[in-house]
Amino acid sequence: MSEPQTRGAEVLAEGLSRHFGPHRALRDLDVRIAPGESFGLLGANGAGKTTFIRLVTGYLAASAGRVAVDGFCPIAQAREVHARIGFVAETSRLYPDLRVRGFLRFAGAVHGLAGGGLVDAIEKTLARFQLEDVAGRLIGNLSKGYQQRVSLAQAFLHDPPLLIVDEPTGGLDPLQQEEVRHVLGEAAGARTLLICTHDLGEARALTGRVAVLHRGACVALGATDEVLGRGDPLALFRGQAEEAQ
Amino acid sequence: MRPWLALLRKELAVAFGSPMAWLTLAGVGLVTALIFFDHLRIYNQILFLYATTTMGGFETDTVPTYVNLRDQVFLPVMETLALTLVGLVPLVTMRVFAEERSRGTDELLATTLLTPTQIVAGKFAATYLLVALMLALSFIYPASSVVRAGLGMPHLMVVYLGLFALGIALASIGLVCSAFSTHQLVAAVSAYAVAFVLYDFRWTAQFLPDTVAAWIDPLSLHPRFGSFAEGMVRGGDLLYFAGYVLVGFALARFALIQARVR
Repeated sequence: MSEPQTRGAEVLAEGLSRHFGPHRALRDLDVRIAPGESFGLLGANGAGKTTFIRLVTGYLAASAGRVAVDGFCPIAQAREVHARIGFVAETSRLYPDLRVRGFLRFAGAVHGLAGGGLVDAIEKTLARFQLEDVAGRLIGNLSKGYQQRVSLAQAFLHDPPLLIVDEPTGGLDPLQQEEVRHVLGEAAGARTLLICTHDLGEARALTGRVAVLHRGACVALGATDEVLGRGDPLALFRGQAEEAQ
Repeated sequence: MRPWLALLRKELAVAFGSPMAWLTLAGVGLVTALIFFDHLRIYNQILFLYATTTMGGFETDTVPTYVNLRDQVFLPVMETLALTLVGLVPLVTMRVFAEERSRGTDELLATTLLTPTQIVAGKFAATYLLVALMLALSFIYPASSVVRAGLGMPHLMVVYLGLFALGIALASIGLVCSAFSTHQLVAAVSAYAVAFVLYDFRWTAQFLPDTVAAWIDPLSLHPRFGSFAEGMVRGGDLLYFAGYVLVGFALARFALIQARVR
């Protein structure tokens, strides 16, 4: 197994499709995310963003086409792919009955950290995300903003070359949104960042390139300023690429 | 720490972080105490009856041989404890996979270095440990009756081996139901249904020819536990219970993998 690269991982999707029965959640997507790139996946709810992320992480298998992280298949070579991924799910998907430090210990251990390395990583991450004061508290008793910080902290703990973030600021107040964007902004460049969002401001602030999905199909792909700078960017969310020109 | 050991530790922390594990353990302790003291009370009443009717106190030959601590207290308590496991184990197992799926944390687990086999192994091991803890809590009363009845520790150990085997078989049923469910309630109800059907096939004797009923009966859980209760350890019974673990493990693993391609 080759070691994860320090400057980010490459994500490659070719003809990627996913069906749920008759429903086509993702259709024939071709995209390459370069190592170290900050890439945004935009679209309305149900456009296929989360499905794409689940295919990249190996949580779902593709119906057609292929996806690879640094050349590794997320299903057949899950260990190699998961060693490269830090994942922050849409809304805080955490264990409310665990304490913050205990949860981070678990998150580090299941990503291969152990012994002194694990302890150091936990302390650094607690400090980085300003979680020292709540390290001994139950996650379920924390505010949404703190829970999202914990969610981000577990993703950064093992210093992954690919950070996948699904709707990072959903349900947060403006101050908390700003905090999360600040953390993600710092992370950009040091690793590959794949962000799913329907917030255009967030996409502008955090990504260099975006793809816009509508009903599972890619309707626009290019530099963020270019794609979102055309006419009415919301038209893209409605699948009207010509109107957005 | 190995990833699957970290998962086992997390499972135990989550289990004891919620009231269900504590309530279940308290339930086992309470039910065992109530059943034990109730049977002891009845046993003492029977002895008193014999004492008063003979008007001569406790002469050994005035009390029938079947009136003893083993048959009047120990074995009925063990039988009821086995049935108590059917009622309580699904409460422990219902959340193990279903809660993970309903909270969406299964997606988080799926992006770690844990393989589906390790996830299932960690969750099964943690649940079996909880079952062992439930049985350990119930040990004190039977142990005291062993001292009084002169049953001997080996017999008690065999009975508890049987109870543990029954407990992990029931846990395996519950874990499979949880692995195929998103809702804890659905997981619990389906586990009860499967466990009660498999517990004792004697009810089928009303509908089936005697030969068929006699063939089916050994496939149920109760007669297999019955051998242990009588102090016998048979290879066939151990294999029977091990089958639940292996089939349960394979089905739960299948459920995790199948969810990716559904």
